[in-house]
Amino acid sequence: MFTNLEKCPRNLLVCEKSSLLNDKSRHATHVAKHFFNYKVSVLIPECGITPSGLKSVFNSFSKYYLLRNLPVYKLLEEEFLEKVVKKGSLYALSYKTRIDQDNTFALLPSGQVILSVDKDTYEELGLEGKASQYNHRQPMRYVVTLDMTDKSLAPGGKRYKRVMWALQEKVQLTSDFLMARYSIGGNGEDLLQSIFSQYSCRELRPSMSTQSLRDLLCPSLDPTDLHGDSRSCDPLQFLEWLGAVTMDMSCNNEASSFVSTYCCPEPQSSASQALLCTAVGLLLPEDIHSLLEELRRYFDEPRFTSWLSVTVHGFADSPVSWGATEHGFHKGGENFYTFVLFKNQDYWLHMATGTNDGCPP
Amino acid sequence: MVRYKSRYLLCELCVSDQSSLQLLDERAVFAAVRGAVSSAHGDYGSALCSASFAVKYLNAHTGVVFLRCRKSHYRVLWSALPFITSVESRGQRVPCFFNCLHIGGTIRTCQKFLIRYNTQQLHRMLRLCHSEAERLEVRKAVLSCSLKSLEKEEEAEDGYGDEEV
Amino acid sequence: MSQPALYERLVFKNASVYHYLKIYLILDNDDRKINAVYFKQMIISALRDLYGEIGAAFPFDVLKFEEDTLTAVLRVYNSGLVKLWTALTLLGSYQSEPCAVHVTQVSPFLLALSGNSRELELD
Repeated sequence: MFTNLEKCPRNLLVCEKSSLLNDKSRHATHVAKHFFNYKVSVLIPECGITPSGLKSVFNSFSKYYLLRNLPVYKLLEEEFLEKVVKKGSLYALSYKTRIDQDNTFALLPSGQVILSVDKDTYEELGLEGKASQYNHRQPMRYVVTLDMTDKSLAPGGKRYKRVMWALQEKVQLTSDFLMARYSIGGNGEDLLQSIFSQYSCRELRPSMSTQSLRDLLCPSLDPTDLHGDSRSCDPLQFLEWLGAVTMDMSCNNEASSFVSTYCCPEPQSSASQALLCTAVGLLLPEDIHSLLEELRRYFDEPRFTSWLSVTVHGFADSPVSWGATEHGFHKGGENFYTFVLFKNQDYWLHMATGTNDGCPP
Repeated sequence: MVRYKSRYLLCELCVSDQSSLQLLDERAVFAAVRGAVSSAHGDYGSALCSASFAVKYLNAHTGVVFLRCRKSHYRVLWSALPFITSVESRGQRVPCFFNCLHIGGTIRTCQKFLIRYNTQQLHRMLRLCHSEAERLEVRKAVLSCSLKSLEKEEEAEDGYGDEEV
Repeated sequence: MSQPALYERLVFKNASVYHYLKIYLILDNDDRKINAVYFKQMIISALRDLYGEIGAAFPFDVLKFEEDTLTAVLRVYNSGLVKLWTALTLLGSYQSEPCAVHVTQVSPFLLALSGNSRELELD
């Protein structure tokens, strides 16, 4: 009847099937390219206690820092660039800024600084940028990308001076920042603290939680049947079920109930218990990668379950999702991916994005 | 020049007792339709519909009703019409239902349709006549009841349709 | 062991038939208790007020309702999302007491509701 009320914004789901043993497998690049991860949750069916390997990986997750009222030009100062940014693996994202209304900033490990600013700030700044892809008729948001590895932006140069002048004197852009740096040795963290000593800087660790689930229905999955034709359920139903389990919803088959008609997808089997481990904070892709490597080894010993899943949620307010693809919020700003690892080292990767977002790689 | 486009719904009010049609007035029909839209489509539907909604014409003898509403939302009104089972007028409830005959963009096309429709109805009914005398009587009645105020053209059309039988 | 799986890639655009909403109810009277059935009934009557019998005739599910925090997760077909959302916005009273519904998160994926980075509190 009201056809104008029945429209919905678009969403994308990309599913990939491959094997970890496959040389050309792109799982590592997909993980490395998703820079800002907010939450990771691991679901292992038929598992009672946290495996010690998993626990130690979770505990070795990198620390991150919360910097208060940091001016954006500090990220571009020569000392910082030389000592930290050029070494790579530095992630910074403005905290408590909403990409659909505030100015949002991010520093990617590739050395790019992305300023996603509203129209007024953009015009005051006078820096070269592009109108956001997700504007509605009138551009109200602009994206300024500063590639600090580029020669033309080398400290002391004309362009560099102009950028610093714009950020220092024209508009003093400040924000709270979440910052993290991946380092194998572990002395990189002190460096961050020493550089930003005059700003309030708090060291934080990703917060962990473990939950044991009892007596639940699990969909059966067959690694060869990604599409969900007969031997497994289709990817969307699986993701829905995974969400229901993570959020502790009942999946009892009561299709006639008044309140909810949700039930576990077919084909299904029952599991007596399952383990759900989550970590929340600014999580680095490198840590996610080591988590995956650890979970790979989980199947070295004989296990009851034939699969386990890892879900990684991105920050809804980050200006990028995968790589440098622009990310917007629209309704939910969702960008996440789920790995389903199988006994025989096959994996499924589901990558999902919402409306104002490019297609996952 | 931009104008708001309207849709005119040509409906027939069907009642069991013809005399009860005399009780109806435009306001009663308006209220009944408004009520039906409101219960079928809620506040949103009745708000959409209320812009330029009007009962343009009601014939208390034949039960012909013209309803006007915006072109973009006429379906809202249209779909609510079958849910009307009675019209309340002057303290009395008249059981009736709406039979939507035609939807047109102007009153003129609706009027043309109505004339054609009535002619068809007449043809169908004349077939029920038992004898030639009865048929002639009907013809005489039709010709005699034409009002002076009616346009010449319309009269001619009516007469022509009749003669063809 | 069998051969490693061949690479396969599928892209689904707008494949999700549902949308999920995470909402919470704010009641003026804190002592009042409400259960999932009453909660759903309340939403249905709000829908009926706004869209009438025909407009409100679409199914939706209350996947989860927590009575102590009054938070809920709803699932609705895409075609009903706008109607449900607007009805929730205009919902103003429950049993003649003022109330309001706050929509926290909306997503075409249920899994996305389990990780909302806007809820990250570090203080």
